[in-house]
Amino acid sequence: MDIRELQGYANFFLTMFLVLLLYGYILHLYRSEKKGEKDYEKYADMALHDEISDAPVENNPKTKESKE
Amino acid sequence: MQSNAAFEYDYSIAKLFTYTTILFGILGMIIGTLIAAQLAFPELNYMFGEYGTFSRLRPVHTTVVIFGFTLSGVFATFYYVAQRVLKVSMAESNLLMTVGKIHFWLYFVGALLATVSLVLGFSQGKEYAQYEWPIDIVIVIVWLLWGVSIFGLIGIRREKSLYISLWYYIACFIGIAMLYLFNNMAVPTALVSGYGNIMHSVSMYSGTNDALVQWWWGHNAVAFVFTVPIIAIIYYFLPKESGQAIYSYKLSLLSFWGLMFVYLWAGSHHLLYSPVPDWMQTMGSIFSIVLILPSWGSAINMLLTMKGEWNQLTDNPLIKFMVLASTFYMLSTLEGPIQAIKSVNAIAHFTDWIPGHVHDGTLGWVAFTIMAGIFHMTPRMFKREIYSKSLMETQFWLQTLAVVLYFTSMWIAGITQGMMWRAVDEYGNLMYSFIDTVTVLHPYYAIRALSGVLYLSGFLIFAYNIYKTITSSKRLTEEPQFKTPMA
Amino acid sequence: MFHWLEKNPFFFSVGVFIVIAFAGIIEILPNFAEASRPVKGLKPYTVLQLAGKEVYKKDNCLSCHSQMIRPFKSETDRYGQYSLSGEYAYDRPFLWGSKRTGPDLHRVGNYRTTDWHENHMWDPKSVVPDSIMPAYKHHFTNIADIETAYAEAVTVKTVFNTPYDVEGGTKLGTWEEAQKMALEEAKLVTADMKNKDVKDAVESGNIPEIVALIAYLNRLK
Ligand code: HEC
Repeated sequence: MDIRELQGYANFFLTMFLVLLLYGYILHLYRSEKKGEKDYEKYADMALHDEISDAPVENNPKTKESKE
Repeated sequence: MQSNAAFEYDYSIAKLFTYTTILFGILGMIIGTLIAAQLAFPELNYMFGEYGTFSRLRPVHTTVVIFGFTLSGVFATFYYVAQRVLKVSMAESNLLMTVGKIHFWLYFVGALLATVSLVLGFSQGKEYAQYEWPIDIVIVIVWLLWGVSIFGLIGIRREKSLYISLWYYIACFIGIAMLYLFNNMAVPTALVSGYGNIMHSVSMYSGTNDALVQWWWGHNAVAFVFTVPIIAIIYYFLPKESGQAIYSYKLSLLSFWGLMFVYLWAGSHHLLYSPVPDWMQTMGSIFSIVLILPSWGSAINMLLTMKGEWNQLTDNPLIKFMVLASTFYMLSTLEGPIQAIKSVNAIAHFTDWIPGHVHDGTLGWVAFTIMAGIFHMTPRMFKREIYSKSLMETQFWLQTLAVVLYFTSMWIAGITQGMMWRAVDEYGNLMYSFIDTVTVLHPYYAIRALSGVLYLSGFLIFAYNIYKTITSSKRLTEEPQFKTPMA
Repeated sequence: MFHWLEKNPFFFSVGVFIVIAFAGIIEILPNFAEASRPVKGLKPYTVLQLAGKEVYKKDNCLSCHSQMIRPFKSETDRYGQYSLSGEYAYDRPFLWGSKRTGPDLHRVGNYRTTDWHENHMWDPKSVVPDSIMPAYKHHFTNIADIETAYAEAVTVKTVFNTPYDVEGGTKLGTWEEAQKMALEEAKLVTADMKNKDVKDAVESGNIPEIVALIAYLNRLK
């Protein structure tokens, strides 16, 4: 098997793999929302309510609020 | 929560980059207009001796608008947006403030040196990668500093999830880092041989390999400078200015991964009919067409964000800028794949249709988005309302007309020239000598130069408007949440 | 299974990197394994030609000229045999260009001569009245940087094994030898030129840029 052929196969399978991954991701996005596990649309709020005093959409547990 | 109140967002770095956006914008567009005019009126080549010819100035134009104007705009908006969507102030970390300042000053000095080096003729000879190795090293450091800022801010964030704009900024950071490093691999000749000019280097790759790497870079520089971070900008400013949440956040996530995956494959469409392997050219074509999907995914998502609120388009010139930008994004992401179809490419390649395509992207999409971002940020950073709404309107129409003139004239010029090169008479002999195909372009070159003048005038109006806003417009007592106040 | 992407900047960045690096790894790296092989009989550039190539790069002729003839009849009729990968084996960087405001130059050495170039570079309109190409009069006064060209040749010889100083290759030698050879070669070019200042300069040991540039253009065949 020469390098060109190898390249062809690698290309084909990796593309397939990534396409599957992408479809998996799409399914995941819509399924988890339907099942009520996640609400992706709420993240859009991050742009609208972005004052430093606004409450985060989800708190980051790693930053302690009282560290100052 | 209460402790947050002690902090305000710190815009000092964003302000600095806003100034350089305008400065490099003016410089890059003046040179662009000049070289456009030189093609119509070649006498204009001799204004600055050896330093003023079309060929010497063309890379100065491209690099100043790419690395000067656009990147400044990207940095300015980043230092503004990132704090806000992460809900953390730069001022909370002395380290980040320092890094930000060094980032700016090194960038600014580096950009000036880089520009001078090109005018003097130090060039690697690769398009959009002309800078010689010492300048490249400065650029890499500047880039790493930006990385520190990105991940530093993320490290101290209050918001757990990253807003979609940040995804795009991060992708820009990673993509350019990878591409720039690989494409600029070169060996400094003076260090190896002990002779000659210290600035000089030779590429690590030769011939066809070099071409592949170059267009892998060339195409994806477009992806990661002119597309990815600009999407980041509009995904923040359009919702924020209009008060409308993104139409579908899920669609924005999907388009992101789609774009990342597909874009990199498309680079070889710059090398159709060249000696690079056939299957690679075909891949380039196919993926270029698939690329329409994620691109339009983003564009439609932006336009639909305005659903039910189209009246804002008439009330608010800022929305007008961004909606037009999204539309031009759709246009150029449709046009690009069309040019990548092999039979179309056979005609379009090497002609003026290509610069035409580039400019409806850059003038219509990139610059409009960046200017809209600056219009939105300035009143908030300086706590003053926009100086003049009517100037904004004037600018908008001037520049829209300019873009339309630009791409229509270049469409016609490109297709005319492409067809003339291949035209044969009944005996199969070429019908036109090369110079015939040059003289026929004169009117289109003149129209393009005119469009440059119009666009530049619009940009000067923009600069004036911002200057007046900063210095003498009415003060704001509190920060507007959505629509930008203007007089 | 994808949740962590949105919240974990590190994995997110790694993900982005993999997805975008993927095309490069498959598309580009394998071609490097297959080192770009020169066509038969191709010789590395002489030092004078390299200096000319440097002028070509410095004044960025590639902003208007391509060096890549596509395999169409209309192009081969106009410019000659279409370009082959192996012809570029010693081009660092490649100079294919992407825009033909002027004609392709990949085989210009076949149909243009030294004296034609001399007139054309001094004032294109004197040869082609409607030309929009800039005149490059400064090439007639600026002195070509032979030393840097020599440095480049030494570098590609040591780092990339470009066949200098080998059987069937191009002679390079020491800096003194290279200088002498470049001057000899320059004199061959100026023999066909008429500009007095250029001839005098070469006689006194300085090679103006135009001479190097023409040596380079003549080599493009
Ligand atoms: C503004 C674009 C432009 C630039 C820059 C430019 N040229 Fe040209 N060139 C042209 C045009 C147009 C023609 C065709 C008309 C003519 O022959 O003058 C041409 C023709 C030529 C020809 C004749 C080719 C033929 O087949 O007849 C040569 C040789 C040439 N150019 C060399 C150069 C070199 C060397 C440089 C860089 C120092 C350069 N050109 C820079 C536009 C340009």
